[in-house]
Amino acid sequence: MSQFRSINRLPTHTGAAIDFTFNGKAYQGIAGDTLASALLANGVDVVGRSFKYARPRGIFGHGAEEPNGIIQLGSGAGTIPNLKATQVELYQGLEASSVNGWPSVNVDVMGIVGALGRLMPPGFYYKTFMYPKKLWMTYEHFIRKAAGLGATPVEADPDSYDRLNQHCDVLVVGAGPAGLLAAREAARTGARVIIADEQSEFGGSLLASKQSIDGIKAAHWLASLVAELKAYSNVQLLPRSTVFGYYDHNFLTVLERRTDHLGLTSAHQVRQRVHRVRAAQVVLATGAFERPLVFAHNDIPGVMLASSVSTYVNRYGVAPGNKLVLFTTNDNAYQTALDWHQTGRDVVAVIDSRSNPSGDIVAAIKAQGIDVIAGHGLIEAQGNKRVKRALIAPINAAGTEVTGAVRTLNCDLIACSGGWSPAVHLSSHTGAKPVWDESIVGFRPGESKQQERSAGACRGTFDLAGCLAEGANAGAEAAKLSGYGEGNTQFPVCAVEEYKEQPQQALFLVPHTKSTSRAPSQFVDFQLDVSASAIELAVREGFESVEHVKRYTALGFGTDQGKLGNINGMAILANALDQSIAETGTTIFRPSYTPTTFGAIAGRDVNNLFDPERYTAMHRWHLDQGAEFENVGQWKRPWYFPQSGESMQDAVNREGLAVRNSVGILDATTLGKIDIQGPDAAEFITRMYTNSYLKLAPGKCRYGVMLKEDGMIFDDGVCACLGENHYLMFTTTGGAAGVLAWLELWQQTEWPELKVYFTSVTDHWTTATVTGPNARKVMAKVCSDIDLSNEAFSFMDWRDGTVAGIVARIFRISFTGELSYEVNVPAHYGRHIWEALIAAGEEFNITPYGTETMHVLRAEKGFIIVGQDTDGSMTPADMNMDWVVGKKKTFSFIGKRSLQRSDMLRENRKQLVGLKTLQAKDVLPEGAQVVFDAKQTIPMSMQGHVTSSYYSSSLGHSIALAVVKGGHSRLGQIVHCPLADGRTIAAEIVSSVFYDPKGERHHV
Amino acid sequence: MSNSIKLESPLQYFHGSINKSSAPDSLFNGQIDCGLVIKEAPLSAHLNLRGDADDSSFCSAVAAALNLSLPLVPGTFQRDGNTSIYWLGPSEWLVVDVGGDAAAIEATLRKSLKGHISIVDVSGGQTCINLRGVAAETVLKKSSIYDFEDWDAAKATSGRVVQTTFAKASAVVSNRSDGSYDLVIRRSFADYVAQWLLDAGGEFGCRIEKG
Repeated sequence: MSQFRSINRLPTHTGAAIDFTFNGKAYQGIAGDTLASALLANGVDVVGRSFKYARPRGIFGHGAEEPNGIIQLGSGAGTIPNLKATQVELYQGLEASSVNGWPSVNVDVMGIVGALGRLMPPGFYYKTFMYPKKLWMTYEHFIRKAAGLGATPVEADPDSYDRLNQHCDVLVVGAGPAGLLAAREAARTGARVIIADEQSEFGGSLLASKQSIDGIKAAHWLASLVAELKAYSNVQLLPRSTVFGYYDHNFLTVLERRTDHLGLTSAHQVRQRVHRVRAAQVVLATGAFERPLVFAHNDIPGVMLASSVSTYVNRYGVAPGNKLVLFTTNDNAYQTALDWHQTGRDVVAVIDSRSNPSGDIVAAIKAQGIDVIAGHGLIEAQGNKRVKRALIAPINAAGTEVTGAVRTLNCDLIACSGGWSPAVHLSSHTGAKPVWDESIVGFRPGESKQQERSAGACRGTFDLAGCLAEGANAGAEAAKLSGYGEGNTQFPVCAVEEYKEQPQQALFLVPHTKSTSRAPSQFVDFQLDVSASAIELAVREGFESVEHVKRYTALGFGTDQGKLGNINGMAILANALDQSIAETGTTIFRPSYTPTTFGAIAGRDVNNLFDPERYTAMHRWHLDQGAEFENVGQWKRPWYFPQSGESMQDAVNREGLAVRNSVGILDATTLGKIDIQGPDAAEFITRMYTNSYLKLAPGKCRYGVMLKEDGMIFDDGVCACLGENHYLMFTTTGGAAGVLAWLELWQQTEWPELKVYFTSVTDHWTTATVTGPNARKVMAKVCSDIDLSNEAFSFMDWRDGTVAGIVARIFRISFTGELSYEVNVPAHYGRHIWEALIAAGEEFNITPYGTETMHVLRAEKGFIIVGQDTDGSMTPADMNMDWVVGKKKTFSFIGKRSLQRSDMLRENRKQLVGLKTLQAKDVLPEGAQVVFDAKQTIPMSMQGHVTSSYYSSSLGHSIALAVVKGGHSRLGQIVHCPLADGRTIAAEIVSSVFYDPKGERHHV
Repeated sequence: MSNSIKLESPLQYFHGSINKSSAPDSLFNGQIDCGLVIKEAPLSAHLNLRGDADDSSFCSAVAAALNLSLPLVPGTFQRDGNTSIYWLGPSEWLVVDVGGDAAAIEATLRKSLKGHISIVDVSGGQTCINLRGVAAETVLKKSSIYDFEDWDAAKATSGRVVQTTFAKASAVVSNRSDGSYDLVIRRSFADYVAQWLLDAGGEFGCRIEKG
């Protein structure tokens, strides 16, 4: 059966030839084909193997519902796993393979040994693979390979993706008859309309329809309607675009496939784009899925959905077989027999489960001389890699029992239809629980949770005239609610001729002569090989909730998300539980509607754009010097400046000694800076910091600590008085945005009566810190209009002046403990001032240093870094910084009250101390735990931990800061740090100020 | 030490950058070279102004000092020649004077404004860029969740403005009567924004020029 043939292409259908390969074999399709239609045209029956039983599987559907034709597209970096062949547009040179077919779809290795089936009863994950836990990785690898979940590329994705934020008044999802008319009505009102459809062409069911609308053939009617929509400037048409998620506040995500149909060679174009749509109103016109019938061996290649057979015949000109048996529970599917009959190929019989089908279309079929066998079920398909026979038998009116002799019909194609299931997925995403409706034998969308309405088949309206009318009304209504039009339709009602349909039969499991558990497998979920008997077994094992049964059996877990199997499965479950389908309910559909690539979700936020990198004005100078960088928040700060051959420690030792012995220069631009103005500025600032600023004079600076209400240190920095009612607050680099928000919060919500304004000036100022014993000499070379003497310009003063020709503001603040000048200029001059200072310092071997040396130098001085030495549970007293807490402030300050809580006054709180290792070269790891008794058996009593630790080149030994319980009264005691590698390092508790304890060096 | 004073605008190193790698030639029809042209108005005066919008003397004093009325309608700006005032919040405005002297403007304002006000020179911290071309709106849509299509067209002397997210940074976006858009972006994010724009505009052809 599977030899190369294109005999399934109907001679009436022509197009440009397209070469492609499938599983390594060359084929030819024609323009307009999907991979599925091309494979069917070529008579490729087996496209994959099933999950558990490795049964051969063929194309079953024609769209998003396809459970079997799961393929891997391309190879290498651009390969994509788990695409549905029914949704892959054919392009020249396409290469595809089955994701599941090891070692080959046509070799029965797995089939003969019975594959995984015997190992994998329902609930197999729970029963078999959970224990021993450590083997799970092994199991998973085996399962993936055998089950065929496709291969993800190991190389970086060569394609580019992006996002587009869209706003519209009316979003129409689905461009079938209902959606198109909704869009037209909304467009006419002037509303902004977006209409998206997952297929390459608009039209939905009309693409494969032979009906006429307004006396015009559907295809022509469609073409003119689409042209009309395109002519509206307020309408955006998005073909190849799947609305895959519906979220709160009418926010929907749409995946547009822009180049996938052109092949895998589009690295420089946007391959896929996610439209993030915020819509005032939504019209869901997502159509319906035909429901397969569950009979024995209904999974053999050659069994297909009736509508799929019609689609392949009418739209793609492919007749996937020769001798058709149609098995239906409804009038609608009779159309497939008519379509097939018109190809000139044989309709063996129509099997109708209903005892007395009498609709107009039944008569029309009979008039064609086609045999209609009523009151029968197709109880079993036979064949191996292709259907050869259908077994039929009379069944009772309830469809629960075989009531007579079994007959055999020879055929190679079985089309089946159990009615239609509305595609309620998007409505379900909003939290609307689908409602079972006996009259349509399906779930309708539940009550709207969003500004949306469903129209057409997704609402359970299956006749074309009804779909068109509902769509038009929905479009007009949505437009009106978004502020456009009067809500009435503007276009005349479309005239459609269609057969009047008789009621369908609800038939979810076709009876067999044997019981469900003994009959050949009657598959419900093809992709995961869930059979009717497995669902019944789950019930026998005590599962009752549909959600539990879903997880126990894996029903609906495949990449098709149970679009075909769910309803049948729930109905079989309901029957086994002896309750109604309405009582059983359905599982919840969640995004994504169809699988979505990670690339599309990531968009452009990848590589260098993954997270913003903030640069200072000197960034390129640092780059030129070969600096290594450290991330501080989003800033890139120079970490250290290695010279050739230097290790990091070498560089940090050199930089530190340069600052201590001569002069260094640091790019301190990244510190947060907030300009504060207003008559109540000093009062406000005093409430925010623990100390007072009421008497801070212009020209002076003060260091402050901010607490949260709980009394814990939140940020620290220097605040300068620039003039009357004018201050400049410095924050930590990482805390800048948080502090500004904190100030605004308190001013706006608690103290609106305080007149004070805040403005971020972090980016405005570039800061170069010149520090070291020779700092004054360097400054003197570039600044002549400020008296730099210690008497005129003291520690914690600031002055305005001219530096290297630029108006600058200089602060005598020190984070190193040395004489320091922090030179601030508007950032446009940043690089100029930096280079001028470097040039001026040349004779003193001025040394640029980075954040690592900055950390070492400040740790030598015992200066804390908020967020490193504190962790949100540290008070000023814990940090031995009681001196910064104002005791005489008239008004309270934030956190003050909390400082008096009993836990804050407890004696054995973790307190900041210095640690000096007994071996000078031992550097404690940061985070190391501190214990008092190194010999204590595990679990040991943790007494604290190391917060900062470095080797100090200035001191010639390692230094560490740690928080230790009751540490302030433990000076001189020896503690121990047990390390992960088994060693224990002993250290002495010392003052946290290692260097220049009297603070003389920065006062010079 | 160098005698010449070197100024660097935030996009200094991007002037002349171009990305057309993914733009099909057919896009241009020989009419334009790029779908998105970004022009920096470097080293302009930017001042953040705070004050009480309900205080008519404040409003009139600003108008007198800048010869331009203070926009009081949220999300709007007023412009006269090179000077624009953008509404940023109920008590906050951004004054931009292309090619202007921030210190002189601040002095003028301080002279005429009384009471509780705040004037802050932020010229070093931000820059103004103009986005023009057929792809400008699309690139804005890629970059921001704000609905720019909803704006009425700008006039020469007034238009719309919004402070909003721009990719993973932020921007003050406003429209111009020629259909182009102005963005005020922060200096420290300028490299990121420039790289983002070059990347997002690449499919249409994108270049950055100095104003």
